[in-house]
Amino acid sequence: MRLVVEGASRAFGGVWAVRDVSLTVEPGELRAVIGPNGAGKSTLFALIGGQLAADHGRVRFDGDPVERLPAHRRARRGVSVVFQAARVFHGMTVLENVMVGAHATTRSGFLAAALRLPAHRRDEREIRTAAMVCLERTGLADWAGRAAEELPLGRQRSLQLARALCARPRLLLLDEPASGLRAAERERLAGLITGLRAEGLTILLVEHDVAFVMRLADRVTVLDLGRVIAEGTPAEVRARPEVVAAYLGPS
Amino acid sequence: MRLLLLGAVTLAIPPLLPERHLATFVLFALTATVTVGVSLLMGYAGQVSLGQAAFYAIGAYAAGLLAVHGAPPVLGLLLAPVVAAVAAVLLGAPLLRLRGHHLAFATLAVQLILLSVLASADWAGGAIGLQGIPRLVGDDLGYAYAAIVVLTLAVLVSRNVIASRPGRALRAAATSEIAAAASGVPVGRHRLAVFALSAAMAGLAGGVYAFYLGYLSPGSFPVLLSIEFVVMAVVGGLGTVAGPVVGAGVIIVLVQLLNTLGTQPGMPGYAPSVLSYAVYAIVLITCVLYLPRGLVPALRRLRIPSRAG
Ligand SMILES: Nc1ncnc2c1ncn2[C@@H]1O[C@H](COP(=O)(O)OP(=O)(O)OP(=O)(O)O)[C@@H](O)[C@H]1O
Ligand SMILES: [Mg+2]
Repeated sequence: MRLVVEGASRAFGGVWAVRDVSLTVEPGELRAVIGPNGAGKSTLFALIGGQLAADHGRVRFDGDPVERLPAHRRARRGVSVVFQAARVFHGMTVLENVMVGAHATTRSGFLAAALRLPAHRRDEREIRTAAMVCLERTGLADWAGRAAEELPLGRQRSLQLARALCARPRLLLLDEPASGLRAAERERLAGLITGLRAEGLTILLVEHDVAFVMRLADRVTVLDLGRVIAEGTPAEVRARPEVVAAYLGPS
Repeated sequence: MRLLLLGAVTLAIPPLLPERHLATFVLFALTATVTVGVSLLMGYAGQVSLGQAAFYAIGAYAAGLLAVHGAPPVLGLLLAPVVAAVAAVLLGAPLLRLRGHHLAFATLAVQLILLSVLASADWAGGAIGLQGIPRLVGDDLGYAYAAIVVLTLAVLVSRNVIASRPGRALRAAATSEIAAAASGVPVGRHRLAVFALSAAMAGLAGGVYAFYLGYLSPGSFPVLLSIEFVVMAVVGGLGTVAGPVVGAGVIIVLVQLLNTLGTQPGMPGYAPSVLSYAVYAIVLITCVLYLPRGLVPALRRLRIPSRAG
């Protein structure tokens, strides 16, 4: 999917969290968004995913303006989100959590479910199979029957990713997916993200681990105080003095 | 397998009951049916209805009025849940957008309004009531089986929905509306659907009730009845399929026992009603203090260690 953000702004209590941000992410591109704490990265993601409404500006998925659509309709248009905070569903198994991810791509409703109509059974079978595949990909297959809230935090993060993938997204927003992961898990995640990109998925990635980001990203957007202060390939961005000053620090 | 056994036992009960307990059994099965819906609404959609007896009444009056005007009883019974569900959608559509306890207060208000409308509506029999509703089946045993069918239907539908795509979506939204919506769940619409489903269950039970009594009056649907449904759902255990049935059973038996006690010679005339009011309060408080998750989860916890040991 081609993502275009045009002049998006959002304020909280008179303070701009995101201010006049524009960016274009080409189909199949892996774009990293970096910036110091409070730079507005998560807020920008929320404006794209529909968790927050923009005060100004547009968001386009493949050319269509979506900024007025609620989050669940944007999900149907192909955007999936992995939130910074691990938001897993309690009182449900790991498998069921991932199955919720398929909501956007399936149809059967209350009536079909109540009466166990064939359409419902078919949907259930497909959803279950798709969810198991996503659990395999994220290394959670052995945990399928466990209660989601019992997972260690790192695994809850993977669970969110599995759920996001189960929606078969065309645009994936990853907000610090590697935080809290150990080195080996981090490597596994890097491999998975590379694989997803190779499948043609458009990915936005927020991550504080700069080495991790620079290795994976096609292009990098740098935010500071809600504004874009730089954009380019990893090598270009690294060479910009204002980025070093604002973010990378004298290392 | 366990379900089949349970079904067989349930079907064997009514013929064994003496006549006067058969009436209690019918009442139990109908009340449990409404409670299944209330439990679904509270346990999975996080919404409270303090006016569920209004949908019970709507179903009852819909079936009763149709039958009185010559429609076949079965048609009235089929339309009762539909009319109740439509009423719920009309009421819920503007409300479920709002958060918190708006639905609880609104349903309570709706019930009060409905009761006063029914009491003054000549076409519904007014305060005297709607009389001469034809019978659906021959005897009380027949009604016991009709009530079992209705309860079974509600339990099966509830179980099926919980374990399905929309059911998972609702449960997900109970933890995080944001994450559920991000997965494509239209949270408000799903909550409205569950509200309508719970109203349909109440309406269906109301339909059977109308034919069973053969007579309906606003006084049959007091606000206390709505509260009773909520207490039964909480006592039985929210978020379980069996909870509402167990809760309804326990409370109805308790109320019956206290009624018997209250009508013993030497008791004052107001004893039965005071005792039956008191039972809700005492059971609810005991439950909240000692079994916050309800009877069914508590019984389950008792059983698991004993199995292991
Ligand atoms: N819901 C909210 N209400 C009020 N202020 C908010 C809210 N969300 C974010 N902010 C503020 O907006 C600014 C940007 O926050 P945001 O979470 O987007 O930053 P971030 O770049 O994701 O930071 P981090 O790296 O710490 O996750 C911060 O100043 C933050 O305090
Ligand atoms: Mg953030």
